[in-house]
Amino acid sequence: MWQAICDDFYLCFLKATGDGSPRAMYLLRGLGVTIEVALAAIVLGLFIGFLVAVVRSSHNKYGYFSFLNAVSKVYLTIIRGTPMVVQLLITYYIILKSVDSKVLIAILAFGINSGAYQAEILRAGIESIDPGQMEAGRALGLSYWRTMLKVILPQAVRNVLPALGNEFIVLMKDTSIVGYIALIDLAKGGDIIRSQTYSVYLPYLTVAAVYLMLVMTFTWLLGKLERHLRSTGADPVHNDS
Amino acid sequence: MSETLLKIENLRKSFGNLEVLKGLSTEIRKGEVVVMIGPSGGGKSTFLRCMNLLEQPTGGSIIFDGIDIVRADDSTKNRVRSEMGMVFQHFNLFPHLTILENITLAPRLVRGASAASAEKKAMELLELVGLEDKAKAYPQQLSGGQKQRVAIVRSLAMEPKVMLFDEPTSALDPEMVGEVLDVMKDLAKHGMTMVVVTHEMRFACDVATRVLFLEGGRIAAEGTPAKIFGESHDGRLGEFLSKVHVGTDFRDKVKAELFDILRDHEVSEDELARLKDLLVRGTPAK
Repeated sequence: MWQAICDDFYLCFLKATGDGSPRAMYLLRGLGVTIEVALAAIVLGLFIGFLVAVVRSSHNKYGYFSFLNAVSKVYLTIIRGTPMVVQLLITYYIILKSVDSKVLIAILAFGINSGAYQAEILRAGIESIDPGQMEAGRALGLSYWRTMLKVILPQAVRNVLPALGNEFIVLMKDTSIVGYIALIDLAKGGDIIRSQTYSVYLPYLTVAAVYLMLVMTFTWLLGKLERHLRSTGADPVHNDS
Repeated sequence: MSETLLKIENLRKSFGNLEVLKGLSTEIRKGEVVVMIGPSGGGKSTFLRCMNLLEQPTGGSIIFDGIDIVRADDSTKNRVRSEMGMVFQHFNLFPHLTILENITLAPRLVRGASAASAEKKAMELLELVGLEDKAKAYPQQLSGGQKQRVAIVRSLAMEPKVMLFDEPTSALDPEMVGEVLDVMKDLAKHGMTMVVVTHEMRFACDVATRVLFLEGGRIAAEGTPAKIFGESHDGRLGEFLSKVHVGTDFRDKVKAELFDILRDHEVSEDELARLKDLLVRGTPAK
C-alpha cells in the first residue's frame, strides 16, 4: 500500500517528461502562471474599480459625469451578467485574436472582470462614508477631488477591506479556468499530469492543497493588514464621532 | 462702520418643491458676532450653509470679497470656502488621520504650506485650546468637547475671515458645552467675525452683537440681544422666547443698567411696579 503511493508519487512528480524535466514542473510552472495572472488581474481590477466607483458614486450624489456613468453602467451590466468562462473565450477568440501572449489575454480578461466587482464594492464603501466628511473637506477649501482622494477613499477602502479581500480570493480561484484557452496554470498542470499518468489522486488532491495554501496565506496577510490599520487607531468603522 | 464681509441679498433656496429660504437679506460686518435663533425648519442651518456654498442658493446673491459667489465658478467657490471656516454639529473630524494631520491637511494642500510650518501653527493653536498633548491621538480617542475644540482649531488653521458655526454644541453632553462656548467667546473677544446658529440663548445674550430670528424662511426679527431678549414680543418670536429660558443673568444685567439710567429720574409708583414686574417675570403686567 505504502509502496503503491510511493510509486504513484514517482510517476506523477518525479518522472521525466518529454523535455527532460520532472512532471512536478507542470505544477510549479503552473503555480507561477496562476500567481502571475491573479496578481496582475487584481491590480488591473483595482485600477478600473476605483475609476468606475468614483464615477458612479459622484454621479449618484452630485450628478457629475453623466456620460461616463452611462458607459460604466453598461460595462457593469455586461461583465456581471455573463460567465467568466464565456468572457475569457470571447476575449481570446474574438476581441484579442491577434494578441500572442495567452498570459496577457488572461490578465486582461480577468482584470476587466474583477474591475466590475471591485467597482461595486468600492462604490458601496464610498457611499457609506458620512456626508459630513465631504462637507468638512469642502468647507476647508479642498476641491471635490482632493477631498475624495485624501478623505473619502482612504476611509472607504478601510471599510470594505474584507469584501475586497473576498473578491481577490474568488479571482485567484477563478483563474483556474485558463485551461480553456490552453494556458497551463496550476489546475491545468494537474490535469495534464493526470492525462499522462492516468493517476487521479495525487495530481488533483495536490492541486487542491496548493490552492488552499494560496488562499490561506492571502487571508492571513489580509488579516495582518486589517489588524495593523485598526491598531493605529484609524478605524473608521468603530468611530462614533 | 466696519467693512462688510458678506452682503446677502434676497437669498432663496428651494429643495425641489419646498422653498426653505424665501428671500433673506442682511450684511455681516467685520468683527460682528451674529447669532441666528429660531424654530427647527425655519431655515437657519440652510442659510448658514448657503453662505459658504455647501448649499447652492436657487436665487439671490451673496457678495464676498467683491464678487457674487452664488454665480462663481468652482475654483472661486473653493477659494472662498478656504477663507470661511465652518464648525459642524457633529464635528466631522477625519477619523483616519491624527489630530495634527487633521489640522495640517488643508493648509498644506490648499495653501501649499510646508509640513513644518503647518505643524508649528497647528501646535500653537492646539496650545490655545489646551489640547497640545492630543496632537498624535486619533479623533475617536477624544471626548465630544475635545473633538469640537479640535474642529474649531482645524478651521482656524486656514486663517478664515469669517467663522460659521452650525449648532456647535447641540451634540454635546451638557458638561462639555461650556468648554466649547468658552473657546467661541475667546474667538469673539479677539475680533473674529462669527455667524452662529445655536440654541444656547445665554451665549447669544453674552456674546452676540446681533441676533437674527429666522422663521418660515425669513428674518422675522432682528436686533441686539437686549432688544430681542429683553423686550417683550408678539407673535412667533414671543412664542419662541417664552418657551426658551434666557436665565436670570441677563435680567440682572438689565436691572443694573436700568437702575443706573433711572437713578436721577423721577419714576412714578406705577411705572416702577411695571418695571419690577417686567424684570422679574420677563413679561409686562397685563
